[in-house]
Amino acid sequence: MSDRLRLDQAAKLLLGVWMAGIVVAMFLVVPQYVGLGDAGRIIILHVPTAWITTVAFTVSAVYSIRYLWKRREADDAGAVAAAEVGFLFCTLATVSGMWFANVVWGTPWNWDPRETTILILLLIYAAYFALRSALDDVERRRRLAAVYNLFAAVTMPFLLFVAPRMAQSTLHPNCAFIQGSHCDGIWLEINGTRVGQLGDVVLALQGIEQRGDLAVAQVEVRMPGLQNVAVLAPTFELTSGKPADRPEFPGQQFLLAVEGVDLANGRVLLNMEAPGSGLLSNSRTFWTFMAANIGFLGLFIWLYRLRADVLLLQDRLARREVAYELPA
Amino acid sequence: MSEPLRLIVNDVAVEYGTRRVLAGVSFALRAGETLVVTGANGSGKSSLLRVICGLQRAAHGTVTIEMDGRVFRPSEALHLLGWVAPDLHLYRELTALENLAFFAAVRGIRCTHADLEALLDEVGLGGRGGDLLAAYSSGMTQRLRYAYALLHHPVVLALDEPTVTFDARGVALVEGVVSRQRERGITIIATNDPREERFGDYILRLGQ
Amino acid sequence: MEPHVSSQSAADASTSAAPSEAPLLAAAWAVFRKDVRSELRTRYALNAILLFAVSTVVAMSLGMGPLTISRNADLPIIQAALLWVAILFAAFTGLARAFVQEEEARTAAALRLSARPTAVFLGKLLFNLALLLLLVAVTTVLFVIMLRVQVGNPGLLAALLLAGSLGLVAATTLIAAIIARASVKGALFAVLSFPLLAPLLVVAIQGSANAIAGRGWESGVGSLQVLAGYTIALFTASLFLFNSVWEP
Repeated sequence: MSDRLRLDQAAKLLLGVWMAGIVVAMFLVVPQYVGLGDAGRIIILHVPTAWITTVAFTVSAVYSIRYLWKRREADDAGAVAAAEVGFLFCTLATVSGMWFANVVWGTPWNWDPRETTILILLLIYAAYFALRSALDDVERRRRLAAVYNLFAAVTMPFLLFVAPRMAQSTLHPNCAFIQGSHCDGIWLEINGTRVGQLGDVVLALQGIEQRGDLAVAQVEVRMPGLQNVAVLAPTFELTSGKPADRPEFPGQQFLLAVEGVDLANGRVLLNMEAPGSGLLSNSRTFWTFMAANIGFLGLFIWLYRLRADVLLLQDRLARREVAYELPA
Repeated sequence: MSEPLRLIVNDVAVEYGTRRVLAGVSFALRAGETLVVTGANGSGKSSLLRVICGLQRAAHGTVTIEMDGRVFRPSEALHLLGWVAPDLHLYRELTALENLAFFAAVRGIRCTHADLEALLDEVGLGGRGGDLLAAYSSGMTQRLRYAYALLHHPVVLALDEPTVTFDARGVALVEGVVSRQRERGITIIATNDPREERFGDYILRLGQ
Repeated sequence: MEPHVSSQSAADASTSAAPSEAPLLAAAWAVFRKDVRSELRTRYALNAILLFAVSTVVAMSLGMGPLTISRNADLPIIQAALLWVAILFAAFTGLARAFVQEEEARTAAALRLSARPTAVFLGKLLFNLALLLLLVAVTTVLFVIMLRVQVGNPGLLAALLLAGSLGLVAATTLIAAIIARASVKGALFAVLSFPLLAPLLVVAIQGSANAIAGRGWESGVGSLQVLAGYTIALFTASLFLFNSVWEP
């Protein structure tokens, strides 16, 4: 018993030092990213909290299944604690994301798939707590809350499937964070489909020409909030087969890149690069990011188990108080 | 040697929130036996009957019904259980006949209009089957509760305050029901009326 | 207090043959018919739901009238969103009634003691579906007339409305059973239902917009598939979870 306690103490201490290290590394180790400045450091907080939110939701659902199966109050306490801590992380991820988006993308909310998903998740958590507070009988509260939790979990795959179809725009640099994955971009043809859409930006290919070993595309850009049509000229290095000059969209910090050229048929592959793309290709940032993920996971596990213990203790105290009140 | 019918209540406890109203109640009854449960208000008589009928969760303990070698929990034994109680409410916007026809249908009992009329006659509601329950007096409502409970010939009949709001003819009806139930199975009566203690082969006094 | 009673009397009881359990679908149908009959007599849900739908559509047409004349490219999606919002909020006012009524009139115990949980669930689901289909029909007809909506592909719109209604009922019937046991019922129904309905709404609105814009059936097949999958998943989950909700 005392061995376990000592182990617990050591783990807590380690977690504290680890998290402190991450906070320091977030500002001292992670380099500034071109175009983002200090705002880019937020990925060390934002991304881990966001993914812990989904971990918390899953943990809570698993505890709810166990509760309905075995009807032990400890399982219900686990489900509530995971949901509460998840709600905290969910709020942190949302607020940090909105702040970052406002600084970098010029708008705090864009109905990006991830924003949609996390908003619905916030609403589900809120509904779960509202339901619990509306049920007086303890056993019934546990049982019905577990049912709701599971029922909500059943709709999550649909939400994850549907959210990307809501708005095609992904401000989140989804493809950029994990190396090797790739966003598709769109092919436009001078003699065919000249107009296309990337996110909420409408692109129209005006012309394409070769200048030395560079291919230069003339692209007309229309976007919400922009009064006039802008024309950008991204370039592509034919020898190396890589994008060269990547102009910025007016008023926003996205870059337009040519990722492929087919000069014979007058076709170009256009894609949008969000700032933050390639952030993790820096190894210092990458390792701090990974350490932060582990740290936040540890923080989550510690917090929810602590909360579950407190909930159980409260319950037992309530019972004991009543027992003392009974006449001898 | 398996008994044709047994009701086993094992160490049942009932709680409201953190308040315990009933603890450590155990008994076993066989076909033909009648148990009268008495006790002060709030001693848990009604709760015990509700637990036996699977209408309330026991904080502790189990209720099992053994019938022809099969073992049922109350929630699986809907066809074996009948319940009459002041907090048994039927559909006020339907007529008595519509109520009975509905409960017969969900129980899968095939019965004609005439069968239901006969059942209403039996509980003293002959000719009133077409009235909406909203127009029923409390005594008539209590009579209809008997029709509801006896519709499927339950082998375990739980009667909570069986003669409440009844006149002399109503009391006679209860006597008839209890004596007929003796031939069919088990009866449990929760009451504070000393005159009803005579129904019981056994008396269980709660809260002592 | 440890009362023990055990009997030694060997009563030769002639226990009558216990009736077997009712066939599931027949019992569910009986619950449905009972609810319809009650509803036709009291009109609790019917009045609320239809008046709510009519007021919403009238309020929209008061504010939106001129929009139909302008040639806005986004018009179909705006109209589809408005139609579904009107249906959704009218549904929130009425679909909980079937279960809440049983708890408020305290008839739930009588039902619990007579019918199998699954039969109760299926009966109430069927009742909610009938109520919702009536609501959807009335709302849509009013909406099309009062807002002068030109529906390009009425068949596809009808199919989407039907599929959306099935999904809506599959999601909200279990929630209605849950909130019927809670102390504050009205607001809680919408609060609990909305987050679960978000995927359904998005798909239904997008598909309906395509139908209003007059695109072909191929533009709505994806939406119909998602709605069907959503309905099946939530219906199956409800069947598993309802016993836990219905137990006392």
